[in-house]
Amino acid sequence: MGEKTQKQIKIVVAGPYAAGKTQFINTVSEIQTVKTEAKTTKAGEKEVKSHTTVAMDFGKITIDDEHVLYLFGTPGQSRFDFMWDILGKGMLGLVVLVDSTDPSTFHEARKIINFFESRYPAPFVVGCNKQDLESAWDPEDIRTALDLDEDIKVLPLVALDKESVKNVLLELLEEIAKYVH
Amino acid sequence: MAIAGNLEVFNFIDIFQILKKDKKDGILVVENESRKFAVYFKEGNILYIREVAKIFHIYLDVKFEEVLEKDGISKNDLYRVLVAKLPLLLAVKKGKFSFTPGFIKYPDDIEPIIPIEKIMMYLSRQLTQEEVERKISDLNLVFEKSDNWKLIAEKAHLTDTERKILDYIDGEKTVKQIMEEAKVKQLTLQRALYGFLATGLITRKKKVKRKIGFNLTKNLLRKIVERIKGL
Repeated sequence: MGEKTQKQIKIVVAGPYAAGKTQFINTVSEIQTVKTEAKTTKAGEKEVKSHTTVAMDFGKITIDDEHVLYLFGTPGQSRFDFMWDILGKGMLGLVVLVDSTDPSTFHEARKIINFFESRYPAPFVVGCNKQDLESAWDPEDIRTALDLDEDIKVLPLVALDKESVKNVLLELLEEIAKYVH
Repeated sequence: MAIAGNLEVFNFIDIFQILKKDKKDGILVVENESRKFAVYFKEGNILYIREVAKIFHIYLDVKFEEVLEKDGISKNDLYRVLVAKLPLLLAVKKGKFSFTPGFIKYPDDIEPIIPIEKIMMYLSRQLTQEEVERKISDLNLVFEKSDNWKLIAEKAHLTDTERKILDYIDGEKTVKQIMEEAKVKQLTLQRALYGFLATGLITRKKKVKRKIGFNLTKNLLRKIVERIKGL
């Protein structure tokens, strides 16, 4: 069956600038992530990475002949938040990533959660990326910084590691299962 | 695991919120170009503040009594010293912080004198618009009082305006509705809510029902799970 007739299932991967969204998708996507990047020009961002996602990234995981799961990565900077709105519509669930070594990203993550919670309250989990680094914050401390209740999963993550990314996706699917009847 | 960062993006209220939550013991080091502070925490509350010339001096003493002895401070002077040093510490807006859990051994008979909740609410009254929007970024947010809010409110020494705002928080009203009904300025309200959240007086209203934007069957979900597992 051709891809045109396949039903598209969407999981959104959101998070602050340089939290590792593109890497997260790349690690499990069966195609090379389709990137919509531009050169970073803003002071403070240039020093972190040379290119940034401006519209969205997406990766693909074929489920069966009829279904394909797309992982959409949102642009991190809030000046592109119109894209969050477009991507939020019809999503199955949301993964919010934070850079565990950079507490400045926690506040931005909270804003992103606020945005999706007020418009598209789908099941979501938080992935605390870069847990392999010594300066990484503990996921439980990140939970407090994000003002998240105990019933929201705040998970350790290394976006470069396939098993780690799979674990975050499976935990999200477990949350989604609570709403499937 | 680290608790470290930059004060410009993660302020004292945010730091104290983390340390208070798990009632942490340890030493918070705050340093900028001109000053270096060691803030001694017991069960998430500030016990003592010490200014040092070199950071390594902080880690020379494992027993808290030795710290006091070196500084020439008696236990009875703790409150006076804390009140004197606190404004100096809180005036630091730029610089680095890092928290070392444990390390210092406190005697059982020393207890924190100033509730951290009081300090956090004091700090919340000075937050900038940019800072409050880190937590209160949406006027449609809804909050509810936490189970132990009365106890926290007592420790936090709320102003009349803050008490009025707290009265309006009922798990139903949005930030915008509270602003209109309580007739308070947006920044005043956001500052109070930021402080309430950080002290644990209020929490974000839990979503009763989440929605998935796809007609997912159990069979399809099972297939997705198996596919992800097999990657």
